[in-house]
Amino acid sequence: MAVFDTPEEAFGVLRPVCVQLTKTQTVENVEHLQTQLQAVSDSALQELQQYVLFPLRFTLKTPGPKRESLIQSVVECLTFVLSSTCVKEQELLQELFSELSACLYSPNSQKPAAVSEELKLAVIRGLSTLMHSAYGDIILTFYEPSILPRLGFAVSLLLGLAEQEKSKQIKIAALKCLQVLLFQCDCQDHPRSLDEIEQQQLGDLFASFLPGISTALTRVITGDFKQGHGIVVSSLKIFYKTVCFIMADEQLRRISKVQAKPAVEHKVAELMVHRGADWVKNTGDKLAILIKKITECISVHPHWKVRLELVELVEALLLKCSQSLIESAGSLLKALVGLVNDESPEVQSQCNKVLRHFADQKVVVGNRALADILSESLHSLATSLPRLMNSQDDQGKFSTLSLFLGYLKLLGPKVNFVLNSVAHLQRLAKALIQVLELDVADVKIVEERRWNAEDLDASPNASSARPWNQVQRRYFRFFTDERVFLLLRQVCQLLGYYGNLYLLVDHFMELYHESVVYRKQAAMILNELVTGAAGLEVEDLHEKHTETSPEELREIVTSILEEYINQENWYLVTCIEAEEGEELKKQPCLQAITSSVHTQVLSSPAFSKPSPTICSMNSNIWQICIQLEGIGQFAYALGEDFRLLLMSALYPVLEKAGDQTLLISQVATRTMVDICNACGYDSLQHLINENSDYLVNGISLNLRHLALHPHTPKVLEVMLRNSDASLLPLVADVVQDVLTTLDQFYDKRAASFVSVLHALLTALAQWFSDTGDAEQLQERSLEEEGSHSCQTPTPLENSTTAEHVEQFVLNYLKEKDVAEGNVSDFDNEEEELSDPPKVDENDTLPDAEPPLPVQIQIARDVMERCIHLSSDKSLKIRLKVLDVLDLCVVVLQTHKNQLLPLAHRAWPSLVHRLTNDDPLAVLRAFKVLQTLGGKCGDFLRNRFCKDVLPKLAGSLVTQAPISARAGPVYSHTLAFKLQLAVLQGLGPLCQRLDLGEGDLNKVADACLIYLSTKQPVKLQEAARSVFLHLMKVDPDSTWFLLNDLYCPLPLTPPHASLHPVLLRGASVQQSPYATNVLRLLRELQ
Amino acid sequence: MAAPLLPPPPDPQFVLRGTQSAVNALHFCGGTQAQGCPLLFSGSQSGLVHIWSLQTRRAVATLDGHGGQSVTWLQTLPQGPQLLSQGRDLQLCLWDLAEGRNTIVDSVHLKSVGFCRSSILVEEQLRWMLAVPGKDNDEVQILEMPSKTSVCTLKPEADAKPGMPMCLGLWQADTSLRPLLLVGYEDGSVALWDISERKVCSRIACHGEPVMGLDFDSQKARGISGSAGKELAVWSLDGQQALQVRHIHELTNPGIADIMIRPDRKILATAGWDHRIRIFHWRTMKPLAVLAFHSASVHCVAFAADGLLAAGSKDQRISIWSLYPHT
Repeated sequence: MAVFDTPEEAFGVLRPVCVQLTKTQTVENVEHLQTQLQAVSDSALQELQQYVLFPLRFTLKTPGPKRESLIQSVVECLTFVLSSTCVKEQELLQELFSELSACLYSPNSQKPAAVSEELKLAVIRGLSTLMHSAYGDIILTFYEPSILPRLGFAVSLLLGLAEQEKSKQIKIAALKCLQVLLFQCDCQDHPRSLDEIEQQQLGDLFASFLPGISTALTRVITGDFKQGHGIVVSSLKIFYKTVCFIMADEQLRRISKVQAKPAVEHKVAELMVHRGADWVKNTGDKLAILIKKITECISVHPHWKVRLELVELVEALLLKCSQSLIESAGSLLKALVGLVNDESPEVQSQCNKVLRHFADQKVVVGNRALADILSESLHSLATSLPRLMNSQDDQGKFSTLSLFLGYLKLLGPKVNFVLNSVAHLQRLAKALIQVLELDVADVKIVEERRWNAEDLDASPNASSARPWNQVQRRYFRFFTDERVFLLLRQVCQLLGYYGNLYLLVDHFMELYHESVVYRKQAAMILNELVTGAAGLEVEDLHEKHTETSPEELREIVTSILEEYINQENWYLVTCIEAEEGEELKKQPCLQAITSSVHTQVLSSPAFSKPSPTICSMNSNIWQICIQLEGIGQFAYALGEDFRLLLMSALYPVLEKAGDQTLLISQVATRTMVDICNACGYDSLQHLINENSDYLVNGISLNLRHLALHPHTPKVLEVMLRNSDASLLPLVADVVQDVLTTLDQFYDKRAASFVSVLHALLTALAQWFSDTGDAEQLQERSLEEEGSHSCQTPTPLENSTTAEHVEQFVLNYLKEKDVAEGNVSDFDNEEEELSDPPKVDENDTLPDAEPPLPVQIQIARDVMERCIHLSSDKSLKIRLKVLDVLDLCVVVLQTHKNQLLPLAHRAWPSLVHRLTNDDPLAVLRAFKVLQTLGGKCGDFLRNRFCKDVLPKLAGSLVTQAPISARAGPVYSHTLAFKLQLAVLQGLGPLCQRLDLGEGDLNKVADACLIYLSTKQPVKLQEAARSVFLHLMKVDPDSTWFLLNDLYCPLPLTPPHASLHPVLLRGASVQQSPYATNVLRLLRELQ
Repeated sequence: MAAPLLPPPPDPQFVLRGTQSAVNALHFCGGTQAQGCPLLFSGSQSGLVHIWSLQTRRAVATLDGHGGQSVTWLQTLPQGPQLLSQGRDLQLCLWDLAEGRNTIVDSVHLKSVGFCRSSILVEEQLRWMLAVPGKDNDEVQILEMPSKTSVCTLKPEADAKPGMPMCLGLWQADTSLRPLLLVGYEDGSVALWDISERKVCSRIACHGEPVMGLDFDSQKARGISGSAGKELAVWSLDGQQALQVRHIHELTNPGIADIMIRPDRKILATAGWDHRIRIFHWRTMKPLAVLAFHSASVHCVAFAADGLLAAGSKDQRISIWSLYPHT
């Protein structure tokens, strides 16, 4: 509401008020003036500035005590005038400045006058407004040496206020005002930047205040955290802006050596400072102390804005005063670097920005002195690192390592200066090794066994683009925080990236060799070094850094890999199972290594058989896992280049994938997935198939020294499980080696070979199951058809005539004779004669036999060995052999002329297993028999009836009363399982073998007893299944047999001429067989 | 207790599989040349030539130029990546392998169906001499290559009746430029021919069985030959170009298919029909090792410039051995 636009009008209004005020100086009058002023336009006021100011200044200047409220209102009014006008005369400015400052002057003490807070605030605002209202050039002329005392007074006044006042508002205002006074205001009212000479003059002037300002501000900054972050932030800002201005390298460079004589009076000249070299040095030293104090205190300030301001401080000081403040560079960098991993993302990103900026500007790399300081800091940190890692808690370790990481980032390639010193490298290595020590007390790892053989089916996960990030969770002795581990990995990676890889790898390799205690950590570090060297995940601040060339990297990786898969580092004791233990006893050197792991346990080498402790086994497991992970990381680092290393790396990894320890096998599988990802294979199967030649090479060579490589069969096993038929030619080649070796070691290593043969035959049976199944199905259907066509009896017709009956009886008699073999001698021979051509018909060329398919050759060779091995002393082997035999039969089923002679040779041994062996073996043998019966029924029939059936039937009969009487626990006994297996197997076998009636009766007789309800339910069920099968073969006799046992209905003869029949079962009233017989008879109808 | 102190029998460094057929000929092509990694050529019974990279240990290419007939001899030429392959289809092919090309650029028709391997002698950068079994049973033909002009035919005197030539060795003494040819004959004799004079300088009967392989050390003027029988014969050449038997080494099993002295002239290797490779000290003929790996007779051995030994066998495998690498 500017009512009075012209000076004349305004004057008319203001004049009485001003006169009034000049006459009587009261608060009311001042207020009156102010209200009138509000109605005057800015331009009019500018004209009348001096006039209006006069009564106000007069009021201030009148001697004698005045009321505070009056002064306050005067100052406020003054401020108002100044805020809407500008001061155009230097003198006025100076005078107003002095007058305002004087308001807070107390003559008695150094401190600001004890006046009300409102007044203080008003004065501060007034000063601030005054400085802002100063017109253009006037402000510069204001800062001439003669003003020094007055300016100094104002500065110290403001500092005092900022430091000692309780009110936050005053503090902030004082700091703001100080900022304005020191020409560092960041508001937009300041028209132009200063030129060099002006800057220098101001710098000279302000230099006098530097000690006061810096110490006072330091006190404020390092004060109580509770004083509020705003104060600290602005203090920090003023601090670094002032220091930057006065200590700017650019200004100082231009300072002449000799102090120019200032044209001022002597007293003022004394106050002037010449910023010569000595002064700079002294001030730098003093500031260093303050800066150190500040950085130490503020680095841990709870408020993120304060820490952010610290980052700004570091940036400003290091960019502008890196030479003058060289003494502080260490603490400044430390502060910066320490904040790299700050919890606040703003601080972090700003920090990184600054670091990047520094790197761009080559602040560190291009500045020898700074690099030296950094190296020195890094060194001292490395020196104290072992101690710190020992004593600090996780948080402490985290910040220490963050700091370390930051130094590395900042130093970049210059880190080699530090690493090239042996002492430094050793310190560093020691610290890393120490902190990475694993906790190996966990028993579970040793205990957990891999049971599931099909574990390996994991397919490479497409999302795992950074596979090395998913390392196995591990437990460290000195920390639990996962972040610490992450930092350590980053540290190692950065070292690998910037450092001289040859040097580092060499050093850590040495440590790896030096002691088992270091080995795991050294391996972990080596893994990370290589990952880092590949530079795939490293955030590079120094763009022009030359990476390790791929060839060099491959060379290094090859050498590490060689070391990892070296016998003594790869084959460690991880379990105390009998088999492995035996094998390892033959390797005294390995024992020596493992027993030295924990010397306190096994101090005496005199032990003939030092048994590895849980801890040492656990440690071994971890070592293997770390090395396996390393191989995965190497693959990641090298990418497709790793394919060349597969020839040496894949075999050991696969070997571990077949390891019994769960953890090892899991990690190895993951390593393979990593390799798949790195080398561009779609799946594990693809990987194994593509590189089977390398694997086969390793397997075949290692088989030659089985004693040294006891795990070789396992590799073959894993390979077989994870590949397909395309592998067959290579497999055939190596199988020859396997069999040759087996022939040499029948006694010693049969167990492991038999498991290989098992895997091999399982694979073959799986790969070639299609044709086999088809044929089997066909065969089965044929058989069934046959059995139906010839065995389906003439149905019992309702309208039975005597002729029918007679014909039936005749037919029956004839069939019976044939079945019992009385007439069949001649027929049988004929059959046998006609059999072979039938088989030949299946082949395309009966004369020139085509070469056998490879799988048939293999199965034949294996079956031959099985015949030898099936009478092995060890039950375990016998059982396995029977399984293999079973599979051989499955594979060979398509080639009867190979299978039959072999079956013939295997028969005696099989009979022996069936009739005269451990019950477990009997079970397996029975299974083989079943398969064999399915594949070559005719061949087996007579032999079975002669050699086996009587004994089986006999054992069933003798066991029956026992099982009938036994309690519920019986079902857990071996005898029960045997009975069950025999009963379950007999039915299909009888049907397959197409047994004659006499033999069927034998079977039926033996099984009848098991239809009793006194028998365990499962046995009853199995017995019923036998009869169900028998019904298919010979329903009549089965019917008769069942009715003989229990006859539910009285039988009426079909013809009157026949005698009524009375079966034995009819007389029985309460039969234990009733239930089962009834169920079976229902089936029969 | 002495047994464990013996070092374990050496193993092959690695084994190359996949020829799918017996391996009859082997030849290394050094890694020092411009084409990069070292290569091994293998010729198989089925007529294929496989090119193996010793870096990846895999076949990088397969050459099919002998119509399924067994390849008996392989040799590279120093100029450019060119390969000579001799097959039982009576063709001697010259392959151009530069820049991944695998083409036959030239071929020589042979007249003998025997098992005799040819031999070459490089005289100048682009001119070389080739010795091949000739038309008649006992002849050897010398050709000027690459022009394929026949230089001469070496036919033994009528009364000598040495039988067919079984192996050839062209060489040239350091001191003279006269090309010489060593021929092992079916009757067990070894003859030295002077090609320019077309006459036999010397002939010794050192074997009772056909000579199957020979190698000559021109520096020491000493050579060695192996036959179908049990003996290895070391013979030397005196100043008058006369052959003299120096030493006969008796083997346990008869039959040497191939014999080769390592380029550094320290050791030699024999390919045995008894499935074994035998290593001898060349100067003293002290047996150093018996390498038992193959499961069928070994057909050929070859040494690389850096000392690597390769052996090809009827069991379809090629074994690569690194022996006494520091000597």
